[in-house]
Amino acid sequence: MTTDVSWVHARDVHKSFKRGSEIVDVLNGLNLDVHSGEFVGLMGPSGSGKTTLLNLIAGLDRPTQGEVSVGGQIISKMSESQLATWRTRNIGFVFQFYNLLPVLTAYRNVELPLLLLPLNAKQREQQVRTALDIVGLSDRLHHRPGQLSGGQQQRVGIARAIVTDPALIVADEPTGALDSKSADEILNLLGELKRTLKKTVIMVTHDPRAAERADRLVHLDKGLVTHAQA
Amino acid sequence: MLERLTPAYERLFMKYFFLIFESIRRNPVRTILTSLGTMMLVLVVTLVFTVLTAMDRATTEKSSNIKAIVTEKWQVPSMMPYSYAKALTEGAADPADKSAARPSDYMTWGFFVGSTESNPAKRGFENMFFSFVMEPEKTRTMMDEVDEMPDSEVRPLIDAIARMKEVPNGVIVGPERLEKMNKKVGDRITVYGRNYRDINLELEIVGTFPKEPARFADSAVIARDYFDRQLDAYKQSHGGKAHAMADRSLGLVWLRVKNKPTFNKLTEQIIGSPSFSSPAVKCETSSTGISGFLEAWRDIFWGVRWLLTPACMIVLSLVIMNAISISVREREPEFAVLKVLGFRPNQILMMVLTESVLIGLLSGLFSAAVSYYVINNVFGGLPFRIAFFPKFTVPEAALWWGAAMGAGTAFAGSFVPAWRARSVKVSDVFARVT
Ligand SMILES: Nc1ncnc2c1ncn2[C@@H]1O[C@H](COP(=O)(O)OP(=O)(O)OP(=O)(O)O)[C@@H](O)[C@H]1O
Ligand SMILES: [Mg+2]
Repeated sequence: MTTDVSWVHARDVHKSFKRGSEIVDVLNGLNLDVHSGEFVGLMGPSGSGKTTLLNLIAGLDRPTQGEVSVGGQIISKMSESQLATWRTRNIGFVFQFYNLLPVLTAYRNVELPLLLLPLNAKQREQQVRTALDIVGLSDRLHHRPGQLSGGQQQRVGIARAIVTDPALIVADEPTGALDSKSADEILNLLGELKRTLKKTVIMVTHDPRAAERADRLVHLDKGLVTHAQA
Repeated sequence: MLERLTPAYERLFMKYFFLIFESIRRNPVRTILTSLGTMMLVLVVTLVFTVLTAMDRATTEKSSNIKAIVTEKWQVPSMMPYSYAKALTEGAADPADKSAARPSDYMTWGFFVGSTESNPAKRGFENMFFSFVMEPEKTRTMMDEVDEMPDSEVRPLIDAIARMKEVPNGVIVGPERLEKMNKKVGDRITVYGRNYRDINLELEIVGTFPKEPARFADSAVIARDYFDRQLDAYKQSHGGKAHAMADRSLGLVWLRVKNKPTFNKLTEQIIGSPSFSSPAVKCETSSTGISGFLEAWRDIFWGVRWLLTPACMIVLSLVIMNAISISVREREPEFAVLKVLGFRPNQILMMVLTESVLIGLLSGLFSAAVSYYVINNVFGGLPFRIAFFPKFTVPEAALWWGAAMGAGTAFAGSFVPAWRARSVKVSDVFARVT
């Protein structure tokens, strides 16, 4: 796990979808390397394949062709249930619309991924509290998503993403639904994760202010990386 | 492999039980729809099967200790001359023939129906009076169900039989009828005959039936000897002209026989006897007798059992499927999130199934338990008057098959939606397909 070895590694990745009888090529032989501990911003016009790429890196989908590896593991070859198990420990996913379970409290939402790990209630509680502490929501444990602001919900989302202590955080327009003040807080938080917890962060964004926070920007167009800038 | 998997699943189940629980709580429309539907279904099925189980039991052929019923062959209701009784109770056996088949016990039934109300205009259900005209002591040894109960459970009846010997115009009245008439043991009543016009009986209530079996709760028993004397008295007071029904006062004769061969032989003796030619008689086992009686209902029972009940179940499964489908569709993003977090497809399947099976199970159990309690303990049985079954009680088994049926229907109804939840594709739910 040294910084100069690329942590996320995508080689000649193709992804196409069937839509009716038509086949839509979304990614066309894309290459991408992200180093451990890097904060990468992914930009590009709508429909350029950003979410699709993120889904492949997070093991939510498999490429039609090509190879994706994360932390040395070739995830493009794993079965669906292997991927599921792998995701729990290795990926934290942050959504644009938070996607918390409305029926559960902040605490229970954050606890969800831990249910899949062999931990007892005490260990789970400790990790949930730590995660909610990091995002600054220790005083909102028993609120349901409906009782929280957008910014607070997104912080719960981040707490859920980091609670299993994964090395890689992927975020799909995490500030897309937030006002600028809340957005700033979220971006600070993501920067913090990288700096103090040494997480690798890949963030899709349309927002230039968000993009500023990244160590490096990768531009996508028509399923290919057009240029990367530091 | 399985040994290692099972505890893992168990642990998981315990851990995400609150997830299931919260979801049940948070989807009230789905939950209520599913559980009301299940309760209705279980109620209907409980009622239907309560009646059908009782019928089945009564119409199942026994191979030993058979009860035979002799009735008029061509006419329903059967009304035979009482002069048939003596020979019939001996199975029409030739007294000289030692090898002839003979019944080990017997009981004769006539029916006297009337009202305790003198004013015909006011006669109705509350003051109706239905009685068996029979040998009082046979209520203990020959009446269905009573004959199989231990002394300790029929103590009041044993006492009543003893009193009947002392009080010729005594009557044993079922507990419910007593209550409806607002009378108690020791009271006197006058009964105005309906099937025996102008025969009015002055009776003294000497005892009552035990609460169980419920089928005698609403009936009464008067002594054959006493009744015959009343018919004689009528003849004397009407210038020697016998009552129109005098020669038709024997409804049926019950005979107990050891086994099927004895029964067959006995039947031959009775059918073959010239004494019973006008009117002719027939002899059947009580189960075929009752089956015959129920023949008219047979199509209805068949329809209820094999059409109505399955139709209810199918309709209900569809209702449940619909309710759950809607809620699964609404929660697709939720399932997708769970998948992102690492929940496996089968865990999601199990969650949705468990959720609805739990609702179905509890609703089914609840509905069966309530029917059981209300019908048996509040109403004292299901009043559905056919044949000789005045009341039906819900069997205890209803509790478990109510629960099983609720769970089964919920399972059937939720499988398709659960499978859909299992197959939610994360990339479809979150990618904005343009
Ligand atoms: N599951 C799918 N089935 C069919 N087509 C899909 C699917 N997922 C994505 N696509 C198509 O692939 C293309 C890229 O989609 P993607 O969501 O990756 O774009 P994006 O860069 O994230 O866009 P946006 O900025 O709007 O989020 C789009 O044309 C989309 O319609
Ligand atoms: Mg997108």
